[in-house]
Amino acid sequence: MKDLAPSDVLRGTLDLLVLKTLTLEPMHGWGISQRIQQMSRSVLDVNQGSLYPALQRLELKEWIDSEWRASDNNRRAKYYRLTAKGRRALGAETESWRRYVVAVEDILATT
Amino acid sequence: MLRSIRLRLRALFNRAGVETDVNDELRFHLEQQAQLYIRDGMTRVDAERRARLAFGSVDNAMESHRDGRGTRSLEDTVGDVRYAMRTLWRDRGLAIAGVLTLALGVGATTAVFSAVNAVMLRELPFRDSGRLVQVWEENPERNWYKNVVAPANYYDWRERVQAFDGLAAYTDYLTNVTLLGRGEPQLLTAAYTTGNFLSVLGVTPRLGRGFEPADDWDNGQRPAILSHRVWQNQFRGDTAVIGKTMSFGGRLPWQIVGVMPEGFALPTPGTDVWLPMLWPQTNRAELWFRRAHWMRVVGRLKHGVSHEAANASLQTVVMQLQTEYPATNTRMGAGITPIRDWIVGDTKKPLVILLAAAGILLLIACANVGNLLLVHALGRSRDVSLRFALGATRGRVARQALTESLVLSAIGGAAGFAVGWMGARGLLAMQPSGMLPVTDIQVDYRVWLFTILLTTLSGLLFGLAPAIVVTRQSPADALNSGGRTFTGGGMRRWGRYLVVAEVGLAVMLTIGAGLLLRSYDRLSRVAPGFDPQGVLTATLAIPPSRYDSLNKVVVFYRSLIARVQALPGVERVAAVRQLPVTISSWSSNLAVEGRPPLGQTDILHREVAGDYFRAMRVPLLNGRTFSDADTRETPPVVLVNDALVKQFFPKENPVGLRITFDRVPDSTSMWRTIVGVVGSERQGSVAMPPRPEIFAPHQQDPSRGMTVVARMLPGRDPMTIAAPLRGAVRELDSLLAIIALRPMTEVHSRAMSRERFIGALVFVFAAAGIALAVVGVFGVLAQLVQTRWREMGIRLALGAQRSQVRWLIVRHGATLLVFGITSGLLVALGATQVLATLLYEVRPTDALTYGVVALLIGVVGMFAAWVPALRASTANPATTLRSD
Repeated sequence: MKDLAPSDVLRGTLDLLVLKTLTLEPMHGWGISQRIQQMSRSVLDVNQGSLYPALQRLELKEWIDSEWRASDNNRRAKYYRLTAKGRRALGAETESWRRYVVAVEDILATT
Repeated sequence: MLRSIRLRLRALFNRAGVETDVNDELRFHLEQQAQLYIRDGMTRVDAERRARLAFGSVDNAMESHRDGRGTRSLEDTVGDVRYAMRTLWRDRGLAIAGVLTLALGVGATTAVFSAVNAVMLRELPFRDSGRLVQVWEENPERNWYKNVVAPANYYDWRERVQAFDGLAAYTDYLTNVTLLGRGEPQLLTAAYTTGNFLSVLGVTPRLGRGFEPADDWDNGQRPAILSHRVWQNQFRGDTAVIGKTMSFGGRLPWQIVGVMPEGFALPTPGTDVWLPMLWPQTNRAELWFRRAHWMRVVGRLKHGVSHEAANASLQTVVMQLQTEYPATNTRMGAGITPIRDWIVGDTKKPLVILLAAAGILLLIACANVGNLLLVHALGRSRDVSLRFALGATRGRVARQALTESLVLSAIGGAAGFAVGWMGARGLLAMQPSGMLPVTDIQVDYRVWLFTILLTTLSGLLFGLAPAIVVTRQSPADALNSGGRTFTGGGMRRWGRYLVVAEVGLAVMLTIGAGLLLRSYDRLSRVAPGFDPQGVLTATLAIPPSRYDSLNKVVVFYRSLIARVQALPGVERVAAVRQLPVTISSWSSNLAVEGRPPLGQTDILHREVAGDYFRAMRVPLLNGRTFSDADTRETPPVVLVNDALVKQFFPKENPVGLRITFDRVPDSTSMWRTIVGVVGSERQGSVAMPPRPEIFAPHQQDPSRGMTVVARMLPGRDPMTIAAPLRGAVRELDSLLAIIALRPMTEVHSRAMSRERFIGALVFVFAAAGIALAVVGVFGVLAQLVQTRWREMGIRLALGAQRSQVRWLIVRHGATLLVFGITSGLLVALGATQVLATLLYEVRPTDALTYGVVALLIGVVGMFAAWVPALRASTANPATTLRSD
């Protein structure tokens, strides 16, 4: 099941996926990567190394917020949370993603 | 926004904390992943390895996290700066030399710029000063340009010219009053102003009030305004001074009504007290009120009125006055000048020249520091190769090199700022009196900005060569050849460029200095028409209040001359209204009896008491001088100078002719007989050729302000009678202060002090420039010898003569010098044209100056080349070959 999704496309949409994942609840990095894999039924295998720069990027944009707290197994972990600004951004990003998908579909359908 | 700033700040200032956090976060991730695999049945070791594989490179993740903090370039900069400090510290001898060189260049430039700023850029201490203009009169026929104004014309302008909100007048020549009753009599410099002076300028007094418009006319009041300096020094800054009275020895005491703000410098920075005009009410109708020109006028334009419009409306009134008063105003024109230009006046050119000279010195300093950094870079070539080998980009390495230059320039700039601050103070203290029309040179934001900009530009400039050279090498080179790659083309070529440039600049600067000094030399050799050696001068002004009859004035000076004549060692004493080479304005018309009018003439006239001409060694060319027998009871007599005879009586003997100062003689004209012709003295300045001049005997034309001149017997120092002369004045009038007591040689040399000051300062800059350039030549050749040490050894081993090896280096130095000197001479040919107006009887292309400078720098440069050449020839074939 590996490498079905070209990683380039994934990288462009990683921010979107992270934001979407965080709408449910605050989560740590590993949790986010697991959740994305699960939700995509393992189609999307997040390149774990690139997840953290994405998180850092989003935090600098103030779309997400972070704090250290104890994890389920009582370890110290950094949890990320969606901010109000991030929620608004998610709406806009989703919208543009959908337009993108439709456009690509159209092209594929006509040829 | 706030949060992301906090993140960035944390990344900057708590770097370790951030790194630990990232590390923890990634480790947590890996452990969670490993747990997953363990649950699937893997061993712990396998699970951890698998987790790492799934994650990819942790180091890459860390590094990309660092890049993502948005503080990367700043962090790099901090790192670069730290690294630069370390490498400079390792090479501290060189770094110190660089800092000192820069401090010199930046310091000189900053000092001169502070003066330029104080004079030309700083906001004038007047409200809305853009609307202030100087209004002047002109008369092309008399060569009057930007001339002083007659009071009656001023009042007519004030009433009729629509463009002005207000028009004020003041005197700008020196008037002295003696402050009595506060210890020793104090001599103060006074300026007379109209009542609206401060309101037109828009200046609020520091204390008290300004004058009232009614103070133009004598109304029994005697208000006075003190300068900030006099208030501080003579009245100890007492705020209760307002309303107090002070005595200038007159009938009425003067009441202090105000204190000027600090830095107020109109008409001059040295003005001590401002007094109102206090004219008799009858003046307005009198002829002299329109005929005598002696006031400066400043006007405030109405809002929105342009200079052109103001000038047009002034011209309308000027025309009216020309038709209304044909006797006085026929050729009388007028014009306006913005107040800033007026105040800056002729200081602008010298300041700009000095700034340019300092700037050239700074460029030389930059070239020198550039060379130092090249040497420094050579010592580091291994480091650089290593960095290339480890994957550093050229840009990154160049940036590191530039950072190093900027760090050096920042330190040098800071030191230079301190030097500049002191230099500015020195400039103000050493300037010939009154050259800079300011009371203080302040260091304000403009000076700060200028220095910072200058420092940064210098850093980039001298950092350019090392940065280019450093990035030109390939990684392999240095590692292969034991760290010697920069010895190749780049380093030497850039070193040569820099040395040629600095030699050229030094030549240019020295030629400038040489021209100015030669001009000063010419000036000081000008025969002034008198002999300044062995003469003491004492300037006095006796107050009209106590010397209210002309007879008293005549008697006072006659007695004083007699007393001084009796002092030991004195040969001859006389007095004159103004000393030669210091004369300002006062000029008259001239008409000759029985001849057609000469038209507008502009004749100087002075009064002399005693045998002035013999005392000053001015030759009597024809006729006789004055004697005690020429009194108010005998027919008026005059002497004329040689220049007057040449202009008006070129082919005849004027002795016996009668003249008058009226342009169109009438029945009231006073006719004076020419009894003799004397040699011409230089009058207004040493540089100006003598103008036609007429002398009248003091007994017939008494003046209260006179300067006593005492010629000493041969070999006697004039200053030996300074104290007895003071005593003689005190015995005659204990309330009288002497305005100035100095040898005539000092008066003469002070008349050339501006030329001397500018020449000397540029010369100091040039000397520093030569020193730096010579050090540059020496440095490059020494470096050359060191890098080619082996080659020298081999040459010697193969049988070359030591003299041949020496010649090799000397020839190299000579080439650099020839290129540098030639380019310097060529550029100077054009650049020195800016000096043209400052030079006296020296052309900017003066061949002698160019030749001497080229020779001087050539010879000094060859000495600098000789030392490394000698060293090269001592290379020992055996040891050099073994050393590697």
